[in-house]
Amino acid sequence: MTEHPVTYKSLALRGIAAGGIAGVASALVQLLVTEIPIRAALAVEEAREPAGESAGHSHGGEEELVSRGAQIVGGMLGVVIVGIAVGLVFATAYALSKRWFTGRTPFSRSFAFGAAVFGAVALLPWLKYPSNPPAVGDPETVNYRTALYLGVVVAGLAIVWGASWLAERLRAQSQPVRVTAVLLAVVAAVAVVLAAFPAPSDTIPADMPVTVLWQFRLSSLAQLATLYVGLGVVFGLLIDPATRKAKAVGKAAVA
Amino acid sequence: MTSPAAHLSAVRVPKWALAVSLLGLIVTYLVLQENGLALGASSELLHEFFHDGRHALGVPCH
Repeated sequence: MTEHPVTYKSLALRGIAAGGIAGVASALVQLLVTEIPIRAALAVEEAREPAGESAGHSHGGEEELVSRGAQIVGGMLGVVIVGIAVGLVFATAYALSKRWFTGRTPFSRSFAFGAAVFGAVALLPWLKYPSNPPAVGDPETVNYRTALYLGVVVAGLAIVWGASWLAERLRAQSQPVRVTAVLLAVVAAVAVVLAAFPAPSDTIPADMPVTVLWQFRLSSLAQLATLYVGLGVVFGLLIDPATRKAKAVGKAAVA
Repeated sequence: MTSPAAHLSAVRVPKWALAVSLLGLIVTYLVLQENGLALGASSELLHEFFHDGRHALGVPCH
């Protein structure tokens, strides 16, 4: 290959850019989709509280710390910041990866990596501990729930790492055998994680409509998919020399 | 075989890359999960400001 050498710094900058773009896309999903059930959940919460009393967590009550408008903007900003931070970590992991689909193009490696990260740090925790809108969680158990959530995230990342390790170990096998074996191992590992971690401690309050709950959960999943799969796609676009080559060819054709 | 990714496996990752990644993880933690563990009571403003994003990304809250 006659490509100019790829440096870590160039990958990291592209990770930041890709994370920012995916974060903006995810924040837009939040504004247009997720905010609808959040608003409905806040109405449930407000109807619950007797006038003047707040359980130490304000969502636009009378003694609010941050206004609702600021929470919407802040929430979107938070998603973009997380996108950038995750993009940086993603780029570093990509640079360090030595056996992740090494035979593929950079775009297809990045796309597959983004999809795998989505599965590990978003879909798997979502399956075990589905996201909850405001007005559901018990403040007393938040640290316990957070520890379990992070545990599932770590387990998910371990499964991705293990799948990649297993695929490398089975290199001598034919592709169909290898893919089947890795898939079976992943399914078994996911089943073990889902069975081993304790059930969610949240009881869904009776006044929370099930439609609002699930509208929120599915919106949340859509937003997570936008963030992580989007990160993989945009990072792939930015790092793959084929992107620039095609552009150069296009320009030449126009000229 | 000259795989398309061959030149990528030659990426030399400097030591500061790990510090940078750690920073990324810390930022993610602060935005998504600052319940007062790291910054104490002053974190409440941060917590409320990023409130909707935390819920939307499915992180445990309250």
